[in-house]
Amino acid sequence: MGSAVTHAPATEARTDTGPRHGPEKAPRPAGPKQRGRRENLAGYLFMSPWIAGFLLLTAGPMAASLYFAFTDYNLFDAPRWIGLDNFSEMFGDPRWRHSVRITLWYVVVGTPIKLIAALGVALLLAQKRRGQAFYRAAFYAPSLIGASVSVAIVWKAIFSDDAVVDRTQQLFGIDAGGWTGDPELIIYSLVALTVWQFGAPMVIFLAGLKQVPRELYEAADVDGAGKLRQFWNITLPMISPVLFFNVLLETIHSFQIFSSAYIVGGGAGGNACGPADGTMVYTCYLYVQGFENSRMGLASAMAWMLLVAVALVTAVLFWSQKRWVHYEEGGR
Amino acid sequence: MQQSGNAERQAGRRTILKAAGASLAVAGLGATATACGGGSGSGDGTVTIRYSWWGAEDRAERINKTIALFEKKYPKIKVKTDFQPYTDFWKKFNTQASGGNPPDVFQNAIGFLRKYDAKNVLLDLSGQVEAGNLSMDGFRAGLEKFGEIDGKLLGVPVGSNSMALVIDKPVYTRAGIKPEQGWTWDDFDEAMTKVRDRTGRAGDSGMYGVMYLYDLYLRQNGKAFFTEDGLGFTEADLTTWWTRAEKGVKSGLFADPKKVAQIKPKSALSAELAGSEFTWDNFTVRYTSEGKSEYGLAPIPTTDGKRTGQYLGSLMLSAYKRTQHPKEVARFIDFMVHDPEVAKIMGYDRGVPTTQTQYDAYRPTDPVNKAIAAYEESLVEAGVLERITPHPNGADICEAAFLRIAEEMALGSRSVEEAVKQFFTESKTALAG
Amino acid sequence: MSAQATDVTPVTDAPPPRSTRAAVLRRGLPGSLAWHLGSLAILAVILYPVLWVIGGSFKESGDIVGSLDLFPGDPITDNYTSLADGIADISISTFFVNSLFLAVGSVIGIVVSCSLTAYAFAKIRFAGRNLLFTLMIGTLLLPYHVLLIPQYVLFRNLDMINTYTPLLLGKYLATEAFFVFLMVQFMRNLPRELDEAARLDGCGHFRIYWSIVLPLCRPALITSAIFTFINSWNDFMGPLIYLNEPGKYTISLGLKMFVDQEGLANYGGMIAMSLVALLPVLAFFLAFQRYLIDGMATSGLKG
Repeated sequence: MGSAVTHAPATEARTDTGPRHGPEKAPRPAGPKQRGRRENLAGYLFMSPWIAGFLLLTAGPMAASLYFAFTDYNLFDAPRWIGLDNFSEMFGDPRWRHSVRITLWYVVVGTPIKLIAALGVALLLAQKRRGQAFYRAAFYAPSLIGASVSVAIVWKAIFSDDAVVDRTQQLFGIDAGGWTGDPELIIYSLVALTVWQFGAPMVIFLAGLKQVPRELYEAADVDGAGKLRQFWNITLPMISPVLFFNVLLETIHSFQIFSSAYIVGGGAGGNACGPADGTMVYTCYLYVQGFENSRMGLASAMAWMLLVAVALVTAVLFWSQKRWVHYEEGGR
Repeated sequence: MQQSGNAERQAGRRTILKAAGASLAVAGLGATATACGGGSGSGDGTVTIRYSWWGAEDRAERINKTIALFEKKYPKIKVKTDFQPYTDFWKKFNTQASGGNPPDVFQNAIGFLRKYDAKNVLLDLSGQVEAGNLSMDGFRAGLEKFGEIDGKLLGVPVGSNSMALVIDKPVYTRAGIKPEQGWTWDDFDEAMTKVRDRTGRAGDSGMYGVMYLYDLYLRQNGKAFFTEDGLGFTEADLTTWWTRAEKGVKSGLFADPKKVAQIKPKSALSAELAGSEFTWDNFTVRYTSEGKSEYGLAPIPTTDGKRTGQYLGSLMLSAYKRTQHPKEVARFIDFMVHDPEVAKIMGYDRGVPTTQTQYDAYRPTDPVNKAIAAYEESLVEAGVLERITPHPNGADICEAAFLRIAEEMALGSRSVEEAVKQFFTESKTALAG
Repeated sequence: MSAQATDVTPVTDAPPPRSTRAAVLRRGLPGSLAWHLGSLAILAVILYPVLWVIGGSFKESGDIVGSLDLFPGDPITDNYTSLADGIADISISTFFVNSLFLAVGSVIGIVVSCSLTAYAFAKIRFAGRNLLFTLMIGTLLLPYHVLLIPQYVLFRNLDMINTYTPLLLGKYLATEAFFVFLMVQFMRNLPRELDEAARLDGCGHFRIYWSIVLPLCRPALITSAIFTFINSWNDFMGPLIYLNEPGKYTISLGLKMFVDQEGLANYGGMIAMSLVALLPVLAFFLAFQRYLIDGMATSGLKG
C-alpha cells in the first residue's frame, strides 16, 4: 500500500501537469451533448465545496484586501478611502524597510544553504547502504516539528547567552554573548532553524535522484569522466526540475516565516520581535500593524506588497527555468 | 497598579510572594468556607456579566476567589471571566470592542481611557454613582478622581502604585549607598558609578526606556511626557536624555542591553545584571519571588532636591458603554473596591487598595509588602505627590515605541539622533489617530 | 562524496540490483566507513535539539540553559509534576483536547472536500475545468497573509471570532490546494480501465468516486490526513488570531501562554511542556513515516 505512493514520481510534481493530459480524449459513445451536460453538472457538483471556498475565502477576501489597502481602517469606523497614503507611509517607514531587509536577508542566506545541505545529504543517502532508510527518516523529522512553538522555545534557549552555541563559540575564542540578545545575530538563529529542516527538500531530491537513468553514468564512466564532471553534466541537469521545484517552494515559504520569528524574538507579550526588531520579519510587522495597532488598511497594503514580491520571484524563476531546467524530452 | 506597558509587558507577572503566601491562603480559605452552601442560582432573572483582565496565573486564582465571594452575595449575578497577558489582552479587547462585543467589565489603565472614550467604548459610571449602585466615597489620597476624564467617570481605581527605584539591598549596602528623599540625579550617577566599581554589577537596568520615569524627570523640569493632545517635550530634550543613557550603557553604568534582552521576561535586577531598576513600587513582590536577593524601595532622584514629580497611579475597572447590565456591573465594581474580604484575597497584587476600608482590611505582615505600604505612605507624608500627566489617545502606542526605540539605541542599532527622530515620527502617527 | 551519485537506486526497500551490490563490494570498507561517519555526524546535529529538550525536561530549571551535559546526572521529574497544576486553573489536557478536536476536524474536512474536488479535476470532463485547475494551482503559491486580514474581518462580521469555525471552515471547503493537487496526481495514475468499465456498466460519478477511486486512493488520503493533522497541531498563527479565551486555546497557544506567564518561575515546566506538546507529532512520525516521506516525495508537501 505504502509503495503505491512511490508510483507517482517526484518529477510529476511539476505544475505543468495540467488536466488536459487526461485519457478522456477518446470520443465518447452515445449522445455527446447530453452526456456533456451531465458531466458539467457532475463536475460542478463535485467541485462545489472548492468553488464556495474559493469565492468566500480566497477571491472575495483578496478583493476586499485590495480595497482595504487604499483605506484607513481601524475596525471601529468604516474604511475611509485614502488613496496611496498607506503605500507612501510604508515606503517612508524605517521599520518597514528594516523588516523587508531582514526578510530578504533571511531568504537569501537561508534558502541556498538549506537547499545545498539538502542536495548534499541526498547525494550521500542516494547510496544504497545499510541504515539508509533510517537516516532518511531521521533527517526528515525536523521538517515536521520545525514550525512548532516547542521547537522555537528550544531554539531560543540553545542560542542564548552561555548556552551550548555560545559555549562552543567561546572555545574558538569568540564571545558573542548569545545570539538571541544581539539584534544582528538573532536572525541567524532563524537561518539555522530553517537549515535544520533540510529534510523535506532532501526527500524530494532523493526521489529525483533515483529517476536518473544509470546508463548515463555508465556511459560517462566509459568516457572516463570524473565524478565531479558526472555530477555537473549528468546529475544536475537530470534533477533540475526537482531543483527548480525546491527552489520555488522554499523561497516562497521563507518569505512567509512567522511563528518561529515571533516566538524566538518575542520576550513576553510579543510586541517586540527580538532585541531591536532583530526578528521583525515582514509577516511579524504585518501582524503588529494589523492586530496590535489595529491598522488593517496599512496591513492590507503590506500584504499586497508581499504578494507582489512573491509573484515577482515566482515569475523570475519560471522565466529563468528555460535556461537551466531540463525536462526529459518526450517524457510526457 | 498601573503597569500599563513597559513593566507589565516584560513581566510574566508572578506576583506570588512566598512570605505572604501563607497569610493569603488563610484569607482565601476563609473566603471559600463562607462561600460554601450556596447552590448555583438557577432561578429566573439571573444575569451573567463578562469580566476580563490582564495578568498572570496568580492574579487569576485570586480574582476567581473574589468572584466566588461576589456571586455568593449576589446570587442573581453570574460572572464569566477570561484573562490574557498584557499585550494580548489589548489586542483581543480591541477586536472585541470593534465588533461590539467587549466584556461588560474589564481591567483598564490610564493610557487607554481617552483612546476608548474616543471610540465610544467606555461607560460613564457617574450615572450609576447617582443611582446608588456604586460608591465613590472612601478613596485614599484623592484617588476617586483618577479615572475621571472631561467630567466623565470612566474607570474606578482598584490599586494604587507609584514609580520607585527598586534596589538590590545587599548590593547597595556593599557599595555604601544610602539613597534619601530629595537626592539628585548627580547623586544618582555617583551611586551608579559606586555600584559598578565596588560590586562589579551595572548600577541600573536601563532607565532610558521607561516612559513613566522620563515623565517624572520632565515633570521635575516643568514639562511632562504628554499634553492633552500631544507630546510635552522637544526632540532636543529627548536627545539629552538618551545621549546620557548611551554614555551610561557604554561605560557600564547601565546593564548590557544584549544580556537584558536575553533574560526577558525576567528582569535585569532579579537576574543580577543590575543593582537597581526604576519601576512600579509593587514590583518588589515579583522580584522577590523571581530573584534570590532582598529588594527594597528607594526614592526617585530629583532635579532641585525637592520635587520628584511623582503621582499615584492605579489600575482601574471600567465598564462597556452598551452593556446590557449597567446596574449589575456597577454593583460588581463597587463590591471589588469596597469589600474588605476582597482586599484580603487580592493583597497588593494590583497595587495598594484604593479605598480606606480595603486598605485597613489588608495589612501586610511580610517585609516586602510592608515596605510598599510604607513607601506610599512616605510619599504622602513628604508631600511630593502631584496631579497625573494626561494620557492622550495613542499614549499606549507611544509608550511601546519609547521602550522599543530606546532599546534599539542602547543596542547600537540606531544612533541617538536617529532614535529620537524615529520616536517622534511614530508618536506623531499614533497621537494623530 | 557527491561523486558517488552513480549508485542511485530506488528508495523503496526492494533488494538492490546486482550491479549495486557489486559496487558496494568494489567501494570497499573505507568508503563505507566514511559514509557511516558522515551520516552519523549529520544525525548528531539533527538530533541534538531533540535530545536537548528531553534531557532538559529532567533538569533543575536553573541548570537547563547553561549546562552542557545533555542528560542530568541526577534526573528529576518535578518539571512534569508541575504541569499537573495547569496554567491559571486550566489544565494542560484542555489544550490537548482542543488541539485534538481541531486536528481531527481538519482531517475529516480535508479528506472529504479535497478528494471530491480532486475527483472532479482528475476524472470528470466539464467545461471550465482547465481554468479552475489553473486557479487552484495559483492558490498554491498565494501567500496566506494576503487573506489574513480580510478573512479576519469577514469572520468578525459574522461574529465568529473566538470560535473554531474560522480555523475549520477552509478545511471543509478544500482551500488547501496542496492536498487537492496531491490527490489529483494520484487519481490520474490509477488504471483507467477500472472506472471506464464502471461507466460502461452505467455507474454514476458518485458510485465511481465512492466505490472505486476512494479505496484505491487510500495512500494519498492517508498522507493528506497525516499532514493535515500535523499542520493543524503545529498551527500557531490561526489560533493566535482567532481564539480569545484561554479555555479554548490549542496546545501551541497554551505553550505561548506558559512562556509568557510562567516562563521564568517555572522554566523546567516550560521545557517539559514543550516536549509534551511535540509528542503527538513525533508519535505520528514514528508510526507513519513511510507515508509522510513518500507523500513528500510525491508532491513536495511541506510538513
